[in-house]
Amino acid sequence: MSVHTDERPDPGLPAGEPPAARPTPRRRVLPSPVSGQELVLLGVIVVLWIVLAFATPAFFTAGSIQPLLVATAPIALVGIGMTIVIITGGIDVSVGAAIMVCAVLTAKLLVDAGLSLLPAVLVSMAVGAVLGLVNGVLIAYGRVHAIIITFGTANLFQWLGLQIFASKTVNGIPQTFDVFGRGVAGRTFGVPHAFLITVVIAALAWWYLRHTAGGRHFYAIGGDANAARLAGIRVQRRVLLAYVITGVLVGLGACFTIAQGTSTLDQSVGSGKELAVIAAVVIGGTSIMGGRGSVLGTLLGALLVQTVSSGVTQLGWNSNLSDLFVGVFIIIAVGADLLRERARRAR
Amino acid sequence: MRGSSKVTAMVAVGVAAALVLTGCSKKNEDAAGGGATSAASSAASSAATSGGGSSSEKVKVAFVPKLQGVPYFEAMNTGGQEAAAALGNVEWLYQGPTQADAAAQADIVRSFIQQQVDTLIVAPNDPDSMAPLLQQAKDAGIHVATSDTDAPTSVREVFVNQASAQGIGEGLTDALLDAMGGSGKYAIVSCGQTAENLNSWIEVQKAYTAEQYPDAEIVDIVYAGEDQARATQQATDLMNAHPDLTGLVGECTSSAPGVAQAVRDAGRIGQVFTVGLGTPQSMKPYLADGSSSASILWDVENLGYLTAWAGAQLAQDQSFEATNDVSDTLDAVEYDDATKTLLLGPALAITAENVDQFSY
Repeated sequence: MSVHTDERPDPGLPAGEPPAARPTPRRRVLPSPVSGQELVLLGVIVVLWIVLAFATPAFFTAGSIQPLLVATAPIALVGIGMTIVIITGGIDVSVGAAIMVCAVLTAKLLVDAGLSLLPAVLVSMAVGAVLGLVNGVLIAYGRVHAIIITFGTANLFQWLGLQIFASKTVNGIPQTFDVFGRGVAGRTFGVPHAFLITVVIAALAWWYLRHTAGGRHFYAIGGDANAARLAGIRVQRRVLLAYVITGVLVGLGACFTIAQGTSTLDQSVGSGKELAVIAAVVIGGTSIMGGRGSVLGTLLGALLVQTVSSGVTQLGWNSNLSDLFVGVFIIIAVGADLLRERARRAR
Repeated sequence: MRGSSKVTAMVAVGVAAALVLTGCSKKNEDAAGGGATSAASSAASSAATSGGGSSSEKVKVAFVPKLQGVPYFEAMNTGGQEAAAALGNVEWLYQGPTQADAAAQADIVRSFIQQQVDTLIVAPNDPDSMAPLLQQAKDAGIHVATSDTDAPTSVREVFVNQASAQGIGEGLTDALLDAMGGSGKYAIVSCGQTAENLNSWIEVQKAYTAEQYPDAEIVDIVYAGEDQARATQQATDLMNAHPDLTGLVGECTSSAPGVAQAVRDAGRIGQVFTVGLGTPQSMKPYLADGSSSASILWDVENLGYLTAWAGAQLAQDQSFEATNDVSDTLDAVEYDDATKTLLLGPALAITAENVDQFSY
């Protein structure tokens, strides 16, 4: 029950209290709902949007913001799972390859079996869950660091995906997933469905991580896994769950990816997305060491990266500059995190 | 536990760095490929001993694509097999890396050198690092050639060129401006920023547009890598940034359907026109609804056919004529002796009318 994320001593711990039977209602100590880094990120995004709105008049129009939100969705969505994984002190570098497996399998089912929307989404999420389970079991029970395991599974998933592709692109994908897409079918009252779903899931995850004991266990594990185990947390189950959640979100994210692509799917799908997702998480202020972070930050991190990418194109700048900016953001974010950590330990 | 989590973080950063580095290890294949090479060559020598005697009558023509398992090169393979069947005296070998990686490709080239094929033809991922390997092959008595992508500084005896940069660039420009009515602003969504063939086409497009269509203007060129979704998003951003944009070019097989999808999603079919270098089946839905006006490509199977034929010619020490009768459909393939280049022919415009003729 102890939460690592705050500097204040935890009054929930019995150590400081007299062993009396006084039934005090124990107050939970929660971190502030929004962290400093999130406010900074929000500020940066607002400033960027204002600057872009002046620099290129078409930026702040529905026709520009809507596609931007749609493009943000899959990275932010997978980022929610990645945030939980990184909070536990792990990492998952197999999400790109997992997206490929889910996407190619789902796309083939759409073409060959003519699956309708809901079954297709469920199949994709189930496949993602299985891939996540593979990662989770190996990491939770194999006791090898997550980056090694997921590096291995990334290659396995890549192979699996290529087998399913069988040397052909998937052509003529029907427009089943257009509800998640960039077009008119993908919006209700002007709000893109893909982004809306992502925000709802992020809100649920935020509430779960902050307001339930189970959610706060993830932080405890990332803060100190041994202490968490001694405190009675079933560490392995929690860790397993983190990777399965990520897998399920990868499955849904693969559907978004299909919706945003063309009617043809080729083997480049998902390629490099693990780095984009980790970038969003890190820029969002989640500590790569584990124990601290929030999905709200990840959502903002993904939005910032996509804003920069779209902004660079709309300003007519060289496309490579977005890589430069994202790199700088990552270094600033990690640097800020290290400084905070030092300040905390110095106290 | 702080210490150990620090160590884990170091490991994490280290492996992440390794991940990134393996992604761009093109140049140092000699350092990295040592172990893999010996494995590949031992596999190759066992293959040679097991299958050596049976095909002594046929000449062995080996083709190493940039990447195995993509429709483009699989179509070339189909054409090469057809040629081998038609010519009768050719054994067509086809093997490429599973990722477009120069080091992995070099290992396959080495294994073919070990097998002592008669002709070795490569579509190099990295022309500069391929050159010394082609020299090695030549020293081993193997005829060497390039196809699809040239290694101009190498000892290759012939380059099988799918289309001239002039042909592609002018074909794209004419098809787009035909749809745009001869004037207006357009933008290009390219892929790899360093891709030499793409850049050479873009240069032609710039020059040809300025010369032939004075009322047309290229307002921007962006680079999406091989990422379809990114190409689509960039095309969307370009339409937003330039409300008076009426044309988009998708410069490679992933951005050609991407720019069309962007126009379709924005609901601007008929206002913004697109052309690109897309494979026929991937462009079919977009050609059908008008979000793409045309795809400029060449007949990839014929390119494979010509590649196999050229390999057989080299293996039999036959020289090329100025005009070569290769097959029924390739009855006048031009050979340029100065550049040692076989040219497949003019670029092909794929439209809604003829798209069904192509199975890839």
